[in-house]
Amino acid sequence: MRIDVRHIAALVVGAAVPAVMLSSWLGDASESLAAAGPSPRKVAVASVAEEGYCTANLKQIVRRVAGSCGLIDASGGRGCQPADAAKVASLSGEDFNALFLPLADRVRIIQFDQAKADLDEGAVRAVEEAWADRGGASFFFVVARASPEGSVDKNRELSEKRAKAVLDHLEARFGDPDIKRQVGLLWLGEEFAQLDETFCQWKRSRGDQECDAKQINRSAFIAWIDCSI
Amino acid sequence: MPVPENEPGFRDLDDVGPSELTETVVRRDDGDDGLLARKTPPGWLWLTAIAAAVGVYFAAVSAHDFILHLDGQVHAITCSVAPGSDPVLGASGCKAAMLSPYSSFFRQSYWGGIPVAVLALGVFAFLTAFAAYLALRRGTSRKDTGFLWLATLLPVGTSAVYYYLATSEVGAICQVCAGIYVASALTFVLAGVAHWRAVSGGPGGLPWGRYALWFAEGVAFVGLMVLVYVSAAPTERHTLSGCGRLVETKAEPGLLISLPRAPEADTPALAVLDPLCPACKAFDQRVAQSGLGGRLATDVLLFPLDKPCNWMVKESLHPGACAVTEAIHCAPEDAQAMLDYAFAHQEELLALGREDDAKLRAELERVFPKVQGCLGSARVKAIVNKSLRWAVPNALNVQTPQLFIEGKRLCDEDTDLGLDYTLNRFLNGPKAEVTP
Repeated sequence: MRIDVRHIAALVVGAAVPAVMLSSWLGDASESLAAAGPSPRKVAVASVAEEGYCTANLKQIVRRVAGSCGLIDASGGRGCQPADAAKVASLSGEDFNALFLPLADRVRIIQFDQAKADLDEGAVRAVEEAWADRGGASFFFVVARASPEGSVDKNRELSEKRAKAVLDHLEARFGDPDIKRQVGLLWLGEEFAQLDETFCQWKRSRGDQECDAKQINRSAFIAWIDCSI
Repeated sequence: MPVPENEPGFRDLDDVGPSELTETVVRRDDGDDGLLARKTPPGWLWLTAIAAAVGVYFAAVSAHDFILHLDGQVHAITCSVAPGSDPVLGASGCKAAMLSPYSSFFRQSYWGGIPVAVLALGVFAFLTAFAAYLALRRGTSRKDTGFLWLATLLPVGTSAVYYYLATSEVGAICQVCAGIYVASALTFVLAGVAHWRAVSGGPGGLPWGRYALWFAEGVAFVGLMVLVYVSAAPTERHTLSGCGRLVETKAEPGLLISLPRAPEADTPALAVLDPLCPACKAFDQRVAQSGLGGRLATDVLLFPLDKPCNWMVKESLHPGACAVTEAIHCAPEDAQAMLDYAFAHQEELLALGREDDAKLRAELERVFPKVQGCLGSARVKAIVNKSLRWAVPNALNVQTPQLFIEGKRLCDEDTDLGLDYTLNRFLNGPKAEVTP
């Protein structure tokens, strides 16, 4: 068989062109790969929430309450008494309440009967809804109060019961061992930071009933706090 | 006087020397002088060569797009048959085809595998060269064109198979692939016409020796392309040691969803998935198609990129994913079936989620009656929340999908084209130190 130059030429050209192209592209890919290096983090990293309302004052209070109420080390006692609350807040009652105004959408006000600390059906539903609406929050605050009828001591005791009723229900309902590290209780009795009637417009467990200054303080004010402490 | 084509005594044109051919004179074996009155018209062979060159162009474009992705970065992809058109970034039929397991071979041995486009490049390059050679050659007969026509059956047959795979398995046709299909068909048809118009090769049997040589040349073309590819493809990959590690490998019961294990599942893995995330669906399919998924004892962290339950996203990328996630947590024993359902009906569920969350939840309750009374409850929302919070101490990226194998995270660059290779290395290769 004779050697046909045209045959050889066609084969060489036909093979060389794509082979050179391939080689060149692969060389570029190798260079690009070497230059790329470890991929930088271009995406967000999972974290707890830190909302805009987390002012320095609010965070200071949350931190103090969390510490004083045994949330941070989970070894101390449960909850803060009214005297403690005033101390940890280092604020007037009005200023204390004002700190929570940006949380209007997060807060639910659990209402109680006079001189009672039992959760009714609406209260149970509201507590569970609030708990489920956690988002990225780290601490769940329960700030219980009492209306001014009765003695100061009785009202202090009553507000403590109201705060604990919320905690007890959460523990019984969700059985989460972490609850004790997440729920901060404050009971203010009638002594500190009483709510005014404007809070009747907030989400209440008895939203379909009338509300006045006394009724709104027979309550536990509950909310997740979306602040990184 | 015209000479009958098949008259006995004609010499095969390939046995005619070049000097004789220049005169187009063939002497009969019986001693009488005679002229070969006809020769194969080269026009159809040139057209065949041009059609094959079109195949070279599309195969080259496809190979180039594939090679671009070997650096693990995000690149646009050519998705048009029109030369010079702008490449497309993001999801497209072309990307789906490239990421499908049919786009390359030996994926577990080479990162991305050896693209089928490289093989196509070799085949079309051979057909171009061979058709051009036959057009230039004076003594081309029907016996030669017959081989050419036969050879064009390879791309046309392969195109038919790939068209079937694209429509039935991948669910998308890439335009560049369509260009290859058309070039294959054209090459086949034109080679057929050239064969029909060619002069007879005369009496005698088929020239098997010559066919064997040409066949070997064709194989050598393809082999050369593969050799060039394998020898020049990038090998040094910094990502093979992983991209981070889980800090907390344990989770409270119920936070992670355990998927059914295959008997050979011997390696713990964690998949971070959003049931309504298209990339997660594709990732799930790639893991299954890799053939290595059975080795993984997979737990799933459901991570819906949906604002109502996930505070880490500023807007709902996959509306309705929270509801589907709740449903799966309501019936974790049916998690695989529910995930499969969510992936299979992703578009409808996303549309429902965008339209009305309540309708979506009603649909989930209709399909999975077991979740009734649980879906939307405070209890399941708390579980979803707690599972999402598990991502915080692990500092997981707010993205899906992610895969951790024995606590080591596959780099994003290795979760698509290089998944098979990386999985193989993670499961069977030496245990490398993880890149922090």
